[in-house]
Amino acid sequence: MNLPHPGLPSFDYIRAQTLEQVVDLLLKHPTDVRLFMGGTDILVQMRDGLLEPKTLVDVKHLPGMTTIEFDPDVGLRLGAATSMNAVAQHQAVVENYPLLAEAANTVASYQLRNRATVGGNLCNASPAADTAPAILVLEASLIAFGPSGERSIPAEKFFLGPGESAFNQGELLTRIDIPLLPKGCHGRYLKLGRNAGGDLALVGVAVLGYPDETVDSDYRFRVALASVAPTPIRALKAEEILAGKSITDETLQQASDAAMDAAEPIDDVRASARYRKAMVRALTRRALSEVWAMLREEN
Amino acid sequence: MDAVSKSHVFPSPIGESVTRVDALEKVTGEAKFTDDLQFGAGLLYGQVVRSPHPHAIIKRVDVSRALALPGVRAAVTGEDSDDHIGLYLKDRYIFCRDRVRFVGDPVAGVIAVSESIADEACRLVEVEYEVLEPVLDPLQGVQEGAPLLHPDLGEYVVADFIDPKPGTNIANHFKVRKGDVEAAWSKCDVIVECDFRVPHVQHVPLETHVAVARVDQTGKIILWSSSQSPFAQRNLIAEALNMSQSDIRVIAPYVGGGFGSKAGVSVEGTAVVMARKVPGHPVKMRLTREEEFYCAFVRQGLIARTKVGAKSDGEILAMKTEYYWDAGAYTEYGVNITRASGYSSTGPYRIPNVHADSYCVYTNHPVGGPMRGFGMPEIHWGIEQIMDMVADELGMDKVAFRLKNCLRGGDKNVTGMTMHPIGLAECIEKASKAINWGEKAPASAPHKRRGKGLAIMWKAPAMPPNAGSSAWVRFNEDATVSLGIGGQEIGQGSFTVATQMAAATLGVPLDWIHISAPVDTKYSPYEWQTVASRLTWSMGNAIVQAAEDARRQILDIVAAYWDEDPNDLDVKDGQVISFKSENAIPLKDMVVYGLPLPDDQGWHGGPIIGHGNFMPTYITSLDNETGQGQRAVVHYTTGCQAVDLEVDTETGQIHLLRVASAFDVGKAINPDQVRAQMEGGVVQGASTAILECLQLKDGVPQNPSFTDYRIATSVDIPDEIIPIIVEVPQDDGPWGARGVGEHPMVPTAPAIANAVAAALGVRILEMPMTPEKVFLAIQEKLGEA
Amino acid sequence: MATHKISFNVNGIRETAEVPSNMTLLTLLRERLAITGTKRGCDTGECGACTVLMNAEPVNSCLVLAVEIDGTDIVTVEGLAQDGQLDPLQEAFIQHTGVQCGFCTPGILIAARALLDRNSKPSRREIKDALRGNLCRCTGYTRIIDAIQEAAEVGG
Repeated sequence: MNLPHPGLPSFDYIRAQTLEQVVDLLLKHPTDVRLFMGGTDILVQMRDGLLEPKTLVDVKHLPGMTTIEFDPDVGLRLGAATSMNAVAQHQAVVENYPLLAEAANTVASYQLRNRATVGGNLCNASPAADTAPAILVLEASLIAFGPSGERSIPAEKFFLGPGESAFNQGELLTRIDIPLLPKGCHGRYLKLGRNAGGDLALVGVAVLGYPDETVDSDYRFRVALASVAPTPIRALKAEEILAGKSITDETLQQASDAAMDAAEPIDDVRASARYRKAMVRALTRRALSEVWAMLREEN
Repeated sequence: MDAVSKSHVFPSPIGESVTRVDALEKVTGEAKFTDDLQFGAGLLYGQVVRSPHPHAIIKRVDVSRALALPGVRAAVTGEDSDDHIGLYLKDRYIFCRDRVRFVGDPVAGVIAVSESIADEACRLVEVEYEVLEPVLDPLQGVQEGAPLLHPDLGEYVVADFIDPKPGTNIANHFKVRKGDVEAAWSKCDVIVECDFRVPHVQHVPLETHVAVARVDQTGKIILWSSSQSPFAQRNLIAEALNMSQSDIRVIAPYVGGGFGSKAGVSVEGTAVVMARKVPGHPVKMRLTREEEFYCAFVRQGLIARTKVGAKSDGEILAMKTEYYWDAGAYTEYGVNITRASGYSSTGPYRIPNVHADSYCVYTNHPVGGPMRGFGMPEIHWGIEQIMDMVADELGMDKVAFRLKNCLRGGDKNVTGMTMHPIGLAECIEKASKAINWGEKAPASAPHKRRGKGLAIMWKAPAMPPNAGSSAWVRFNEDATVSLGIGGQEIGQGSFTVATQMAAATLGVPLDWIHISAPVDTKYSPYEWQTVASRLTWSMGNAIVQAAEDARRQILDIVAAYWDEDPNDLDVKDGQVISFKSENAIPLKDMVVYGLPLPDDQGWHGGPIIGHGNFMPTYITSLDNETGQGQRAVVHYTTGCQAVDLEVDTETGQIHLLRVASAFDVGKAINPDQVRAQMEGGVVQGASTAILECLQLKDGVPQNPSFTDYRIATSVDIPDEIIPIIVEVPQDDGPWGARGVGEHPMVPTAPAIANAVAAALGVRILEMPMTPEKVFLAIQEKLGEA
Repeated sequence: MATHKISFNVNGIRETAEVPSNMTLLTLLRERLAITGTKRGCDTGECGACTVLMNAEPVNSCLVLAVEIDGTDIVTVEGLAQDGQLDPLQEAFIQHTGVQCGFCTPGILIAARALLDRNSKPSRREIKDALRGNLCRCTGYTRIIDAIQEAAEVGG
């Protein structure tokens, strides 16, 4: 039995003034200091007694942390503390990266998405993070600020294990950079929860497809999965199949089978591994069919 | 009631959908719930140390380190529990004395100046346990040699209609032996036998349990609690602490959802025991959502073994049932669920040969308690599926099968009681028609399958034979009325219906009636409990009597004043009028100050106060061996739900398109409120049917939070709910009314299961019908084929 | 543990307070200011009973630190009625029986107010979606959705 505290345990709250100050705090107190943005995850974990930081450093007010910028020549820059709603509602995101807006909108509830941040969703490195598969197929980069300045981590290298990310000590996420997407692309994020509203993903599947004459099928697909492995993953074998031969119902099915094979889910209180695997196949198939239909309509 | 026999013209506002009397308070944030009350600087907080083991002996409890923590005022342990407590079977201590029986059982309590200090101190309490083998399944629990949870079962105080078996884990065994089942099987053309399972679910009121107790320097107790049962709480706590009921006062503000979980006594007892240690200080005890899942009542689990036989023409000849209730660590309330499910074990069917055994089995699981439907949703899960299976075997339409076999007024039911007039057949016809029963409709996509199903139900108020109600009406100077009741407003609309009944009987405008709330056992009239869908009927009768009493006094006074016959007078719209003389006088001119006698002869009358009470007087017991008797219950409310749904065969998700819900409520005092109960019941029923299960592993809840115990949200509800009111009057109900609060969630789960079976040809025998379970069942069927 | 001086508006009234770091906005409202219309249902942002407006956007006040509201405008259910005039949503909830036990009602009214402020004519689907973070165990949601639709129609 794990009874949570009836309230939040004691800690100090610091509103950060500069990035350097944050880095300094993180280096000096690696275990006692935690970063704070929307709080939707960390406060729950502290109440549950799973985290006991002495200090929360609020970094969401630092310059650029909630900025959304779109440059038609470069792509999208998302401040790490941008709320899910801000992302989902931003015109540049809706027009250019609808897949990201779709994924952000599947998170919990409207009021929670006003506080939950994209950066927080990614930094938790939960296998179930809804924006993670989108970030993977969008081939985004995570921009960390640390003792030696800024560095860029490709999304595919960011997730190392449940709760484990590629940050070095003293680093914090400041931005997510998403490159311009291939011309004519379409995407979908499909999520299965236990109920229709706001559940954590039992399975999440993001698919991005676009015309590419350099491959045999004339189309490239990127497929990423949430909640079915220790980290969010790309289903590379499925992607290879889709690039390698002309797209037919059979190809889509083979790719979905490959996505299922890529999944290594666990049995837990939410679902069995067996069901999750089957759902990877079903949702991948569905997402691929929908994206394929959109691609065909245009070409 | 007179009103029924006189005519079917009902006095205003009976039968009118007036707006709720509590709505304005509730939409403005003005409505006060227990945790909203302000207690000032003296308030202390209690927190409880709970057993991490499902079954263990307490070897040692040491609170000294907790007491040493600054801010801690006192601590309690099992030694502070005086006597056993419990509604029908006194089988628990407020704080465990020698043994813990479920994960979450209270072992010690700490009182401190803040909730967080109390919490920290609880973590300093040292408890040494000797872990015992637990009972984790009722089938294990009934076996000889199973670990015994309550070796003292034979010593417990028990209601005379409960039959515990000392030396076993069986806290109650209820039997029905009617006709000759064994002989009947050979006459059946079709026999179906099947087991069904229902897991533990929880009520999930949005307001968790909260209680504040204050013991004064003279030892008297005031308890503020979120409670469906202020009077039962007072009584049970008085008995457990060997106190007079007069020395305990329970004040019960609005309740943020009950569904049975706030009936009887649960966490309130811990608050009282802790408050005794710090006289003069109110002590607040509120459960976190997680504690609510661990420690508040759960709905009992059920394993149902069922066998039904019928003739080829569709007539049901025999039914055999064994119910094994997973009743949890304490069965003080669950023993009567076991009984109710036994005497209702056939469902609303006419069956001449019945053999039923209902066993209440102690397990080291969370405490089973009353939950909306009181055993009926659980047993109808199996009853209504097996009836469909029988109809399938017979090749008979399921509506026709039910119309052929369902109970009607005048039939003898399972316990030998003659059924009062009921509108069940009408409910079946109307609900099935509302979803176009018999018409095939296409699914919305190739990978979806559509199906229709229905289920019928019955439920009687399950309570002691002599559970009573009382009420008073008191006029104020301006002729507004204070209406005293002891029944609670838990969302079901009781205050509104009570107001309508008083206004109609007194002949005053609705907005002149003001409920004297919150219910306060010091001032409010007695009410047994707000459970069993009994208030509209039982409390309603008391209100009508009280209002008639007041009205009679008024008419007598005015008749004397006018020198007329009271029978020629009436009260209309706040005035006394005479049909004969056409005299009229506003009530405000006489309800408090009386009226002068002619010729300056003094005064007549005085402040008007009317009293009423009601208690059923006709309930008889049932034979211990056969379960037969004249009248075991006051009445049955019956109904039918029909479901039109589709299933996504690729994911197993169920989408409810339409649910028609028809119930015979006798008379809808407020039709809109009745429909609201039906809608809420359908959604709660569907939620338990598809989503809900308190997952227990070795006795430990695995999903004790909203993250993993999902309930239906706004996007999970059926596309359309069609509530249908049927009115076949109840002879002793006010204007013919009977209750309908619980009933609408009873048939929902089996109706969905039957529709799923129609869609897929797959039967789910264990709730809930999660997408995973449905999907895997489809796979299994494909594998077989 | 450090405390923080904050000033903010609650329902249009200027307030100042000195709050510990670990105090949530919900606790500040209910236990410090005795503004109790906002309810505590889970403390984990799942049930929505504690929803309030923070700078005109709905948030779960159980997951907002009191220190964070410095300089903001907070609106609770008590602040919906203006000059003794009920909000059209409140009127509609009364007329459509959008209320049973009433515990989820304050949070739902706030979430609905925010919805109508950003989308004056929401579809039924949009209303349902805006409410998916507000649990209700009594009503089955239908009448709540009806009430919000009605309030939108009268221009609420």
